[in-house]
Amino acid sequence: MLTKKECVAMLLAGGQGTRLGALTENVAKPAVPFGGKYRIIDFTLSNTINSGIDTIGVLTQYQPFELNQYIGNGQPWDLDRLDGGAFVLPPYQKAKSGEWYKGTANAIYQNIDFIDRYKAEYVLILSGDHIYKMNYAKMLSAHKAKKASCTIAVLDVPLENASRFGIMNTKPNGTIYEFEEKPKNPKSTKASMGIYIFTWEKLKKFLIEDEKNKESSNDFGKNIIPNMLNAGELMMSFDFRGYWKDVGTISSLWEANMDILDSQSGINLADRDWKIYARNAAEPPHFIGDFAQIKNSIISEGCNINGTVVNSVIFTGVDVERGAFIKDSIVMPNSKILRGAELNHSIVGWGATVGEGARVGEALSQAVNGEWDIATVGPEVEVKPGEKVKAGAMFTGGK
Amino acid sequence: MKEKMMAVLFASGNESKLNELTIHRTTASLPFGGRYRLIDFTLSNLVNSGVTRIGIITRSNYSSLMDHIRMGRDWDLNRKNGGIAVFPPFVLNTSREVYKGKIDALYTVLEYINRSPADYVIVSNCNIAANIDFTDVLEKHQKTGADVTVLCHTGSVTSSRRLVITKDKAGKIGDLCFMENSNPEQKLIGLNIYLIGKELLVSYVQEAFARGLVDFEKDILFKEVAGGKIFAYEVKGSAAIVDDVKTYYNESMKLLTSEARAELFEKESKIYTKVKDSIPTTYGSNCVVKNSLIADGCQINGTVENSILFRNVKIKEGAVVKDSIIMEDGTISENATLAYAITDKSVTLSAGRQMAGFSTYPIVVVKNKVI
Repeated sequence: MLTKKECVAMLLAGGQGTRLGALTENVAKPAVPFGGKYRIIDFTLSNTINSGIDTIGVLTQYQPFELNQYIGNGQPWDLDRLDGGAFVLPPYQKAKSGEWYKGTANAIYQNIDFIDRYKAEYVLILSGDHIYKMNYAKMLSAHKAKKASCTIAVLDVPLENASRFGIMNTKPNGTIYEFEEKPKNPKSTKASMGIYIFTWEKLKKFLIEDEKNKESSNDFGKNIIPNMLNAGELMMSFDFRGYWKDVGTISSLWEANMDILDSQSGINLADRDWKIYARNAAEPPHFIGDFAQIKNSIISEGCNINGTVVNSVIFTGVDVERGAFIKDSIVMPNSKILRGAELNHSIVGWGATVGEGARVGEALSQAVNGEWDIATVGPEVEVKPGEKVKAGAMFTGGK
Repeated sequence: MKEKMMAVLFASGNESKLNELTIHRTTASLPFGGRYRLIDFTLSNLVNSGVTRIGIITRSNYSSLMDHIRMGRDWDLNRKNGGIAVFPPFVLNTSREVYKGKIDALYTVLEYINRSPADYVIVSNCNIAANIDFTDVLEKHQKTGADVTVLCHTGSVTSSRRLVITKDKAGKIGDLCFMENSNPEQKLIGLNIYLIGKELLVSYVQEAFARGLVDFEKDILFKEVAGGKIFAYEVKGSAAIVDDVKTYYNESMKLLTSEARAELFEKESKIYTKVKDSIPTTYGSNCVVKNSLIADGCQINGTVENSILFRNVKIKEGAVVKDSIIMEDGTISENATLAYAITDKSVTLSAGRQMAGFSTYPIVVVKNKVI
């Protein structure tokens, strides 16, 4: 007999993340390195455990190996529990059927048994590709107090950006009366953060109905939420204030890393009351050599820095040789930046080498239509000595 | 696969010579190398060599050690079979006083040793920072047919008593003696790490204990040398023995050379330590950092040269730190200067204060002090 869990979290980590190009060619987006020593998924996993929710199903599908290995038994997040803990849930073969997760709602539908095992009253649906810190316990309290069928976390976005999000139109008391996906003329600025709490009994009913509809794309935003609204279920919005960023594009991934360097951005990783946990790399402290010049940057364990690093995020185990110059860039784990190489507004994937005198990216002064022209060097790729990678390019070395 | 080796470690030793650094802790839990405790090197070497049954004998002040090791998970030592066993003093009902030497200490854990399925025992102090492959030690031990293999390295006797070894080409030890006077001459120096067959160790300890002997080296090894079955195993590369403030400072500073770091950290076998989930280190706009080893979680806005900073150290604007070791949670405030100092955990040097030791006599600041 398993202990009853009031709330079980289900983390959708199956997204392919095609807009991240070479970075997600061999790993799922939630496993992409972030912020010096983390992976993107660490934020959601840490939020979950910090909110007191200790049972979490991680739904994987695309390139699951890296993610499976990373999560392991969940120990780095204190999720190795006798009862509950972290579970990686890939699609599996059942007696009558067996298929890939067709959509976000179908992924949960296929794991109804998992949630039922814990006799959960509430289910928290999360996505593994956002950077934010949030106490889901507060959202759950609000959901219970209002006796809602569904509570959706919303973020107040600037009106000009509202048409890029799923927008919730709400009454003054927070009740959602309409949901519009990427509206041309938004009526509200409350954007869905892709964080839902459902009363499980209700959600289960709608999932089963939705599954019967062959026309449905089995998606929360497109099907389940509109269906619940049409059926007159009580749907509440939950206002979130604080830092939140979708890191689905190269430009936004770069921006979110840069936000760590800006003490005003609101993503304070140093908060000891809300730690972000990560699997540890067992690297020694980093070493700063005689020729290093470092300004406004973060540097992780195991690095050897002997060049210039300005406004940059340097991940674990990176070598920066004497005479290399790195500005406004992020360099992912175990990469080497050799003598005289120059990086500007770029992302260097893990295990890559930027050869002597190579130049990656260009100094940019501003974003164009909200997008920065960030140059990217793919993971485990070599930029040959003297080679040039243009601003905005995705360099894969012919791979 | 059958376990071949087990280990018994001594957490204490030389505390008196480490002065203020070991008021609150054992030598084993002395912070070293920016993010480690001394025992991390021994534990990691053992685990990397497949030794997962490790008993740690403590003497006093062992709460910091227990807090560091917990269940041993950070070294992958939370096992159903074997894993870590910490022995506080007075493990035997019959022991009326804390053990005096290694022999009576080992005597108190004979049952633990006997119960182990391993055929060989590694007996080691915890004050060594080195990267040692014990599978190779065992191979040599079996090949030479040694009774005891004494691990050693080439170095000189500095400020503390050292075991000096004379051996022949085959590695057979002809003479063992303690030397105390500082001498720059390069010699083979014992690392206080031994590999011994289990049954032999048990009989050595039982016999010596019955005669009231206490000193493992003098009362057992020195006597056995004549039998010709004591062999030396030389650990190549850097091996730091930390047994007083001077060696602590000098061996720490050696880590600022790339050779020492490569030998200790850049091998296949990693050094593990307690995971603390610190954030990466932040460098401000006005910092100047040269030739320094810096752990996670620091915030650096001042000048740092030839120094080692442990986790979560704050160097404020205008502060200047040179040739110093600053342990976890230290704060060097605005415009303060520090040179040739070892500050223990959570020390604060207030704004504008100045403190300096000398290269041959670094000053030690006790844990939690505000200057």
